[in-house]
Order: sequence, then structure tokens, then C-alpha cells
Amino acid sequence: MKTIRLIGLWAAPLIFIAVLFYWPLVNIISRGLEANWFVVYFEAATLRAIWFTIWQAALSTLIALVIGIPSAYVLYRKRFFGQRFIRALITVPLVLPTIVVAIVFSSFRAEHEIYTSLGLGFFFENSIYWIIAAHVFVNYSLVVRIIGGVWVNLDNETEEAASLAGAGRFKTTVAVTLPQLKTAVVSAGSLTFLFCSSSYGIILILGGGLVQSIETQIATAALQFLDLQKAAALALLQTAITAIAFLISESISRTPVGIEIVDETTQKPSVDWRDWPAIAITAFMAIGMIAIPLVLVLVKAFTFEGALSFQNFENLAGRGDRDLLNISVGAATLNTLRNVAISTVIAMALGVLISYLLSRSLRSRKSKAAHRVIDVLFLIPIGISSVVLSFGYLITFGSGPLPLRESWLVVPIVQSLMALPLVVRIVYPALVSIGTEHREAAAMAGASASETWWSIEAGIIRSVILTAAGFAMIAGIGEFGAASLLAYGDQATLPTVLYALISRPGEQNFGMAMAVCAILIAMTFILVLAVSARNPRRRSLVAQ
Amino acid sequence: MQKRTRNRFIGGLIAGLALVTLSLTVFGPQVRDYFSELALFNQNEVVVVTHDSAAFPQELLDEFKAETGLTVTQLKAGDTGSMVNKLVLTKDAPIGDVVYGIDNTFAAVALNNSILEKLPAAETEKYLEEINFADVCINYDKEWFSINEIVPPKTIADLTKPAYTGLTVLTNPTTSSPGLAFLASTVAIFGDAGWQQYWQALKLNEVKIAAGWEDAYFTDFSGSSGKGAYPIVLSYTTSPAFEIRDNGESQTASFLNDCFRQREFAGILNGAKNPTGAQKFITFMTQLKFQEALPDSNYVYPILADAKLPDTWTDFAPAAKTTVGDELQIDASRKTWFTQWGQIFDVN
Repeated sequence: MKTIRLIGLWAAPLIFIAVLFYWPLVNIISRGLEANWFVVYFEAATLRAIWFTIWQAALSTLIALVIGIPSAYVLYRKRFFGQRFIRALITVPLVLPTIVVAIVFSSFRAEHEIYTSLGLGFFFENSIYWIIAAHVFVNYSLVVRIIGGVWVNLDNETEEAASLAGAGRFKTTVAVTLPQLKTAVVSAGSLTFLFCSSSYGIILILGGGLVQSIETQIATAALQFLDLQKAAALALLQTAITAIAFLISESISRTPVGIEIVDETTQKPSVDWRDWPAIAITAFMAIGMIAIPLVLVLVKAFTFEGALSFQNFENLAGRGDRDLLNISVGAATLNTLRNVAISTVIAMALGVLISYLLSRSLRSRKSKAAHRVIDVLFLIPIGISSVVLSFGYLITFGSGPLPLRESWLVVPIVQSLMALPLVVRIVYPALVSIGTEHREAAAMAGASASETWWSIEAGIIRSVILTAAGFAMIAGIGEFGAASLLAYGDQATLPTVLYALISRPGEQNFGMAMAVCAILIAMTFILVLAVSARNPRRRSLVAQ
Repeated sequence: MQKRTRNRFIGGLIAGLALVTLSLTVFGPQVRDYFSELALFNQNEVVVVTHDSAAFPQELLDEFKAETGLTVTQLKAGDTGSMVNKLVLTKDAPIGDVVYGIDNTFAAVALNNSILEKLPAAETEKYLEEINFADVCINYDKEWFSINEIVPPKTIADLTKPAYTGLTVLTNPTTSSPGLAFLASTVAIFGDAGWQQYWQALKLNEVKIAAGWEDAYFTDFSGSSGKGAYPIVLSYTTSPAFEIRDNGESQTASFLNDCFRQREFAGILNGAKNPTGAQKFITFMTQLKFQEALPDSNYVYPILADAKLPDTWTDFAPAAKTTVGDELQIDASRKTWFTQWGQIFDVN
């Protein structure tokens, strides 16, 4: 009886992902894999692209880790005035649409010939440095959040013992604390690597079409040459990289690590002068790399023809210079909000259900293995090129039994697929971390499984669920790859009109793009601040 | 017992909700299609798929509606290349009735993939109707050259001379259609053996490669609104007509020889819901009124010889005197060209 119900519950998410993700994916890949499909890997251009993808992702990851760890220390292990504000500030890049990040960097770059005068012309000229800087900008906060989330809960007795025994703070951190953080560091590193190796918008815009990665090669093969064979072969390679990164991180860290903190109980020591190297790094990142570029965008948004003005925001009611856009930016905003509402509901319903099911019955070895497989099944969408998936949709759902392509629902569905792994990554670790004791106690007292879920677990992780919903919404707001292929005509979304505006300069369009960026930055900052403001409540819930 | 029933009900509700979402997403479009077909919407509508730069003046569409009773819906589908590819991928269930804006660099892709129907109004077997053309050519900022007392370049070959070091901005042929047109003209001029040498010389002469025409023209070019740092730019012969200053003169000029002619065509999509309406709209596009509106709405020359050009065009934007590259098999060679071009210019 119980098994049947479990299977029934599993059916919904499995059918969803099988039909709407794996079917189109298999369809497009099987179309590409004809005779000699692998020769693509040995072309000089492909080898260059593969090499670039891997080394830039590795380097970006390394830099993000090196500067992220000291910041995690300052922001989560220590206590100072304005800490919550800084935490929210550094989270903004992570949740900003990548297209906005790319625009922020390219407008920053356009104005800062200062590098040339400093003798750093090579830095200014070479778009590869800008791409890596943008990747660090985005993933720095990911690293800080993941590592900080574990660090905050680490008990500090060993450290205190070490420092009583006369070890310096730096030495203590390296010798005692870092080994305890290994799991979190590996998780953060592998996620960062995944993001950087599948990055598309940033490389496209900052590289100006002259920097080739696996992802841009996929897009060129598919969009320009309809070369499905090459696109599919490269997509397979991209998937393999995702799977390998995931397996490496799994084999090192057994327990899943989430990107949101469940508990925050102990009082942290406040910062002191001995922390200055960590503070310096954090201040440099928070002010120099994050606050200043974001403020610059805000300034540009309020500048029109060289003067302070709201004109750019007023222009958003229109369709740009020469009616460039199919619909007004306002209408595109409504489309985005509608899509986000739908994709968040789907991703949350399925994601919470999957996390719930994954956290059950981990006793037998067989079910553990099955859970591993299922976990990977739902994680793969994060590493799949949305260009490839969208092509799969064009082919699979154009006609035949599911003529989904013509419907506007196609975009929110793809977006929910992209948000689903995020939701699972946030909710599942939280569910695991609260342990099984209260569940067992409740079962002893005669409560059924669903009773336990609704009255105990859902309550404890309520704020985590809200955070997951926030992330799902943010992922939906920023999704660009799928929307750019599948949403045309009156279905354009904010990121697609943003791309149209930024790729047709001219003062009016540029100003409108800046205004849209400013709105998105403000929106994400407020969302993040709102989510983190719930912390005290979380503490009291756990205390009960 | 009652409690357990309730809990089971809640558990079922979650699964049920997920299933309802799934089935709604799956069958929603079919239901909608069923109703829209009942209402016979399609017979009064012509869906015209175009690239992002095409524009139709509303009064012309109103006139077309008054003549034929047909409403025109324009569907922008990316740049020319992505538009054609999208049409190939969706040919089993076409996204529109008419396609407008396929040019001579992509016509072969459209024909080889049979996305088009034979034009019923044509006497011979014909799939594409030519509507307009534009000439891709080098422009320069006359004012900049007179202030700096340098003689402006006259031919494409001049651009590699030391006098013009660091003065030229071109566009990436892999991401921009005038970029591809210019690459084709260099192949036509310097031949299969010489064009790579020419581009290598351009690179040594510090040419800048922008991602798209808009970046190059509006941001990097000194003679337009962006007031950039480069006085030589790849653009169209028509562009000087849009840079007329208070003295009634254009600040810029275009080469008129060795340009590449981009011809744009319209066709009926195979399996169009409204092929009759599609033919009517294509005929309408070839008529005088539509043709005379083309310079102002799309910045292109009309194909109809009788069509009158705006005065500023006759003064500042005549069509090219000589063109090159018409004989090239662009579709077949594109991939090889891009690979070779990438070897010269790719950053990584």
C-alpha cells in the first residue's frame, strides 16, 4: 500500500521530466549522432573551444574560491554591523540575469580606458579577462553562500583549543577549519565550474563573437549551420563534463550541501584587527567589483542626454527606437511575470515533492542507489545547453502528438525545468539536515507520513521553501537562452527585449536597456534582502 | 480512520495537482487550436515572418486590409540566418504564411530544404520574388578626414595601407550579415588564394572587429551618433543619407565600387494555412505604393524601376556603380570561410 503510494507520487515528477526534458533531448541528440559523429571532437576549432571552456572555468573557479573563502569567514563566521546588508549585496550578482551581468561589464569596460593609461592595455583589450572577471563576479557569492552556510554551523571548540595552544588565527584556519569545510569547498567549486563551463550569454556578449567555447560552438553549429550532428556531439560532450563534475563532487562529499542556511544558533565573535586580510579582500570585492559597477548602471539609467532624468523609464512604455521591439517593454514585463508565476509553481510543486521523496527511506542500499540515479536525473537540466533543449522542442513539439511549440506555455515549462534542480538543491539538503528523529518520534506517536510532513517538517523548513521559491522566481526572470529561441512575436520576455535593445545601440535603446537593468537589480536586491530578513524567525522555529 | 483518509486525500492532492499541471500544459494548446479552428480565424489573417530589421508602415497594412479583407500579422524571428534556420526546423508545421527578407546569402538554404511553395502567380516555376536590395560598402567620415588632412581611402585594398592604421571598424562575418557580405566581396576581389592574406594585412593594420553592424556604426564610427574613434566603417551605400547635417551636406560618404548587393526576397511557406492570402500579400509588396515606402521604412532600394526615391537618397545615397560576388556559392562556402577567418581573428 505504502509502496504503491510512493510510486504514485514519484510518477508525476518522473513523467514530467521524461516527457518535457528527456524526450526532446534524446530526439535532438539521436538526430545528430549519425556515422562518424565524433570526428567533430578532433577538429582544430573544437579542440581550441574545449580547451578554452575547461581552463577558463577552472581558473574562474579557483579565483572565486580563493577570494570567496576569506569572505565567507568575515561574513558568516564573524559578526559586524551591516553584515546582513553586505550579504544581500554580494548575492545580487548571483541572482541577476546573466545577460544583465554581461551588459554591466561591457558598459563598464567601454568607459574605462584607464587600464590602457595604467599600462594594462592587454587587460583592457583582451575579452578573455573580462569573461573570467564576469564569471568570478557571478560565482563569488555562490562560493561565499555555500561555504558560509557550513562555516556558520561549525562548532568552534577545536579552533578555540588550537588558539589556546598558541596557534595563530591564519594557521588555525588552514590546519583546523579548512579540512572541516572540505565538503562545502568541493560543492562550491564544482557548482562554480558547472556554471562557468556552460556559460553562454556572458561569453557571447563580452567575447563579441570572437571567443569560442563549447557552448558558443553549439549555438553556432545549431543556429547558423543547422549542423545538428555537430551540435549534438558537442552537447553530449557538455553533458559529460557536467556529469563528471557532479560525480567528482559526489565522491568527495557524501552529504548534499545546499546553498541556503538552515540554522544559525551560536553567537559569533565580532571582527577584530587580526582579520584584516580577509576584510580587505571582502571589502575590495563588495565595493570595487560589485557595488561600484551596479551603482554605475543605476546612474546611467537615470541619465538621459547627459542630464539627470526619468526619460529612460518613461520610454519603457514604448517599443524602442524605430519600433525595434515586437511589443513594449511593459508588455514584455507582464509576459515575464506570467511565465515566472507558472514556472515557479511547477518547479516548487515538483521540486518539493522530489526532495520529500528523496529524503525518505534511505535505509536499503538498493534504494540509495536508486536515489542517486534519480538525483542525477533531475540535476542534468542544469548542465544542458538551453539552446540544444530549445532545438529539441522545435523538433519534438512542432507537430505530432504534442503541438506545444505554438503555445506560450512552452517558455514557462522550459524555465521550470531550469529552476527544478535549484529547488531540489535547496530543499533536499535542508530536509536531510533536520534529521529523522522527529519523524520517528511522530511515527511512534501514531502520526502518518503526510501528517508528519505537514505539521512538522514543512514548518521547520518553511523559510527554506520560501528561499527556494525566491530562487526559482529569479531563475525564471533571468532565463535567456530558451526564451530567445522559443518566445517570439508578442511573447518576448524581459531578457529577450533587453538583448534586442542592447544589440541595437543608439542612445534611446541603450538608456532603455539601462533602465531595465536598474529595475532588475533593484528587484533582485529587495527579494534577497526580504529572504534573508527571515533568519531570526528560522532560529526560533528550530528552537521550538 | 477519518484522519488517515484526510491525509491520504492531501497526499493525493499534491500528486493530482502535479498531474493537472502536466496535462494542462500538454493538452492546452490542442484545446486552444480546436477552438481557434472552429472560429475560422485563419482565413482572414496572413502571418508574415520577417527578420528583426523589417518594418511595415501601418497605413500600408490598413490599405491592404481594405483591398483584400486580410489582416497582416508580422512575426520577427531574429536575424536573417536564424529566421531561415527556424523556418527549416519548423517546416512540418510552419509558423507563418509568408516569409519576407530571405537574402541571396541564404536563399540556397531555403531552396535546398524545400521550405517554400511554388508561387502560383508566376508563369515559370519560381519560389522567390525579389522585393528590394541594399549595397554593403565601406563608409567614411568626410569631416574627420578633412580635419586631419588625410586623403580618404578609395578602394577596399587601400584599407591595409599604413595611412589608415587603426582607423577601420568592420563587423564579425559569423555574427553579422553585412560582415558576411563584406567577407564575400573580399573573396570575390582577392580570390580564394588571396583573401586570407588581405584579412591578415587588415589585422596587422589594427582593424577593429565589432560583433554587429549596430555596434560598429552607432558606437565605434566617428561619423554617426556615437562619435566613436574610427572614421572608416562597414555599412551601406544608403547610410550617408541619414547623416545630413545643418549645412545640408552629409558628414559621411560611401564607396560606390566593388560593393556587395544583398537582394531580399519573399516567398510562400510550404504548408501555409493561407496560401491564397500569402500570394496576395507578395503581389502587394511588388506594387508601386509598397515599393516607394521601402527606403523610409526599411532603408533599402526598391526593385521596381518606376519607384521614386526620396530626394536625399538621389543626392547622398545612390546605389553602387559596380558590385561583386554575385556568382559566389555563398551557402556552400560559408563554413570553410568562417573557419579560416576564425583562425585569423579568434581570441582563443
